[in-house]
Amino acid sequence: MSSELSLANVTAGYGEFVILHSVSLEVPQKKITALVGPNGAGKTTTLKTIMGMTRLREGNILFEGEDITKLPTYRRVELGISLIPEGRGLFPSLTVRENLVIGAYTKKAREKIHESMEIAFSIFPKLKQRLEQKAGTLSGGEAQMLAIARGLMSRPKVLLLDEPSQGLAPVVVMELFQAIKKLNDELGITVLLVEQHVKESLELAEMAYVMEQGSIVMKGRGSELLADPSLKKAYLVY
Amino acid sequence: MISPSLVLQNTIDGVFLGLFYSLVAMGLALIFGVMDIINFAHGDLLMLAAYFVWLTSADLSVDPTVTALLLVPLFFLIGLSIHYSMIQPVLGKEPLIQIAVTVGLGLILQNIALAIFKAEPKAVAYSLFSFSYSIGPITLYASKLFIAVVSIVTLYVLNLFLNRTFLGLAMKSTADNREVAQLMGINAKRLYALTFGLGTALIALSASLWMTFGQVQPYLGTSFSLISWVIVAMGGLGGVTGVLYSGIIVGLAESLGSLFLTPSARMAVVYIVFFLVLWFRPRGLFGRR
Repeated sequence: MSSELSLANVTAGYGEFVILHSVSLEVPQKKITALVGPNGAGKTTTLKTIMGMTRLREGNILFEGEDITKLPTYRRVELGISLIPEGRGLFPSLTVRENLVIGAYTKKAREKIHESMEIAFSIFPKLKQRLEQKAGTLSGGEAQMLAIARGLMSRPKVLLLDEPSQGLAPVVVMELFQAIKKLNDELGITVLLVEQHVKESLELAEMAYVMEQGSIVMKGRGSELLADPSLKKAYLVY
Repeated sequence: MISPSLVLQNTIDGVFLGLFYSLVAMGLALIFGVMDIINFAHGDLLMLAAYFVWLTSADLSVDPTVTALLLVPLFFLIGLSIHYSMIQPVLGKEPLIQIAVTVGLGLILQNIALAIFKAEPKAVAYSLFSFSYSIGPITLYASKLFIAVVSIVTLYVLNLFLNRTFLGLAMKSTADNREVAQLMGINAKRLYALTFGLGTALIALSASLWMTFGQVQPYLGTSFSLISWVIVAMGGLGGVTGVLYSGIIVGLAESLGSLFLTPSARMAVVYIVFFLVLWFRPRGLFGRR
């Protein structure tokens, strides 16, 4: 398993605050990797650091063997990394169609915009009926699907998902996890998934990391961690 | 006595004036929406552009409207230089620092104008549009009609730009959610510079239109700044349409206010309407939530 994206001893935070302490993480190519842990562990900060949206103090980030540590956010998007932010981050005053179009903002993505739309609809067919609606009027499930579809429009090689199941009904969560599996299986997109639904994420993931207080405290194959008694006790009781 | 035809006349004049005000405020609305900074030098840049119009139309013996062809690109470049030298360094800083910078720029422009041109108002001696039509009791001044038409066409094209082009959508997305817009691959630094340039270019167009019938003096900017803030506060979050509607409201308030009360009270009427709107809609006419 070659890793497509990796963090090596990354220490980062916001302004004077340091949140991540020497975090090392490998995201293998074309696989799903899960990053789990309690609230405030630094999962979101990890994803934002990969996108260059935090203050990185030490360490390196490699993408496809290239050091991207110092690149601005938009360059990382151009290279093929896409973050679906926590809380979806849709543009509420834009229509569903406009949200998808702006997702294909990078030069390379613009040329493939029609093909990308079809791909997005193949995974989220419901969006097709909502195209002219303002994104602010979508239901929670539809909004999350649009957020992921918009992220796909930039034709990423790696998709970073920050708590996509947040605020969704259990049935919709199931649908969402199936869609994530599908875009990994069928489109070959590498996924780094941050989730509160620990059990479902570990079932889905090839590799998994557990984060606590800004550090990686455990790592292994998803199935191994799922069977780990200490982890079970900490996270899987509910 | 106030006759119905006078009311109609003032309503038409008010709408025309309002359309022009919308164009004046649009640059401020765009910069505020995309960059989250209030440009307190907005009106003073209009004053500067108006002096340019006065100078070039006198020197080249051309109509003020023709000067727009030269001034719009020139002010786009002036906007870019102001952005890179003064605005970019304070983006994301405390509001107080941002205010100090743009207020300072406005004062510098006023003082330069005062030193060079003195305080007396200047006007362009002639305009292509100094004639008028009479339809029954109503008089349509060609200059006002022309200004209204150019304003609405410009706003229409700007709206198309914001909705139909990648760059325009990038501006709208950034206004909606600054952080997430970067995740779309938008180069925020470049976008901010272009937005400030575009906003400043729109000011130059407004100035060319203004000089077909108006005068310029060093303090012209203050009244335009105030009107623009009122318009942006009332409708700024509604994009081009929001600015258009609140511009018309301000134009009507001013025109009908001077008819029913007295011309010297017209700005008071504008502000009373403004306070009333914010009383009932604290987030403006088009505010969300």
